[in-house]
Amino acid sequence: MESLLYSLLFTLLKVLIVFLTALGVGAYLTWFERKLAGHIQNRLGPTVVGPFGLLQPIADAIKLATKETVIPRGADKPVYYMAIIMALVPSILLLAVIPWGPGFMVNGKYIEPIIADVNIALLLAFALGSLSVYGTIFSGWASNSKYAFIGSLRKAAVVIAYEVVLGFSVLGVILLAGTLSTVGIVEAQIQKGVWFIVYQPVAFILYLYCMLAESGRVPFDIQEAEAELVTGYNVEYGGMKFGAFPLAEWYVNVIALSAIAVVLFFGGWDGPKILGPLSPYFWFVAKTFALVFFTIWLHWTLPRFQAKDITEIAWKILLPIAILNVIITAVVVYIF
Amino acid sequence: MGEDRVEWIIFVVLGTWLILSALGTVFVKSPIHVILFFLSTLLAMAAIFLVLGAELLAGIQLIIYAVAIVVFYVLVITTIPWEKIKRFEGIYKSELMVASPILFILFLLMSYMVVKGEFAQPVGLVKDNVKDLGKELFTSYLFPFEVASVILLVAMIGAILLGRKEE
Repeated sequence: MESLLYSLLFTLLKVLIVFLTALGVGAYLTWFERKLAGHIQNRLGPTVVGPFGLLQPIADAIKLATKETVIPRGADKPVYYMAIIMALVPSILLLAVIPWGPGFMVNGKYIEPIIADVNIALLLAFALGSLSVYGTIFSGWASNSKYAFIGSLRKAAVVIAYEVVLGFSVLGVILLAGTLSTVGIVEAQIQKGVWFIVYQPVAFILYLYCMLAESGRVPFDIQEAEAELVTGYNVEYGGMKFGAFPLAEWYVNVIALSAIAVVLFFGGWDGPKILGPLSPYFWFVAKTFALVFFTIWLHWTLPRFQAKDITEIAWKILLPIAILNVIITAVVVYIF
Repeated sequence: MGEDRVEWIIFVVLGTWLILSALGTVFVKSPIHVILFFLSTLLAMAAIFLVLGAELLAGIQLIIYAVAIVVFYVLVITTIPWEKIKRFEGIYKSELMVASPILFILFLLMSYMVVKGEFAQPVGLVKDNVKDLGKELFTSYLFPFEVASVILLVAMIGAILLGRKEE
């Protein structure tokens, strides 16, 4: 009984740490994104609130939280509110299967810096990643607004297409590692002494496409499409209810998918020990942040695809490449 | 006995969730709410699979059922303008008459199976769910597996044929 209570409390602690860090980092990524976008477009970005505008996210949060609540006429209220939860929960749950570092011993107890080390971690990650589409669809539907609804239908079409490609693209990595567990994949890479991006460069590029599509980032952000849809599915949400959607989709989701990309292709916490016992964590966070940076960089430099092009690219070009990649990898793994 | 009791509590919570959502699926009027309850049912089912130690089944339940299949239901249901459709209000009498004896017999059969039959017992501690299931599927059950995939292929071709625009 005591060990059970202990493990429960310990898991709760891990959940709390990851949850709060993710929300905090997610909030501060808004500052980072605005700063970066500013410099890309030859402006300064936020400068007024605090030094370098560092207090801007807090000011934004206060502004959003104190806004008047407006619900559109004819909206389906329970679904309208539930859509926020359905958008936020899966992206936060994604963080549960990410291994932040290697396991270590404390007082004779083995501790792993991951919330749920299950042997279906990758399957779970992709299921949760696509479960967040319900938040998008139902928010658009419940708002009783044409713009919002068109946005959510576009997003649904994109997610259906890219989820399939995503599943096939990572199969190569799973074949090489021989496991679905995130910890196992990282350990396989460390054992082999080579990151899987060397063996699976095509899969990584496909994964990048899917990551951008799933998190609704440019060039696949047709569900927002400010010019045509006045930001799409979340247009009828105000205040902090609005804030929850970009936080989930643009920030937490991007962090989680980048972290999974690091696990799959960049050796997880693998790296030279330059910071002593803290170096695995440093490498993991640094690699993840590099991918997040890359995503935001693309967001502010590329134009957007047309709606029909995006699904066509997925079904007609990316999916055949992904399947071919799987077949070739399987044959090569079988022969050697 | 601590762990057993905790497992029991978790199972009761999940079971209640499952039954309530299944009842909601049947009794709620709005089609959108029905599909939401259905989704909730599937999630509860996946959670129960996890508790029972069938991790791969839970993952597949989530990724195939809760996402891939229900997304298509949702796509169709949300695009129909329900407020413009004239709906039948009342009880389907003849259908009820036909269905209730069948349901009753099914219920009796199931109760008999639960009371008299034996529950499947775990053979032993399975270490890697995914690996074992894959091995079984591609050795002992290869033929049924392939037949199932052919059936799915036929269904897909049929759907494409039906959905094709007439020239």
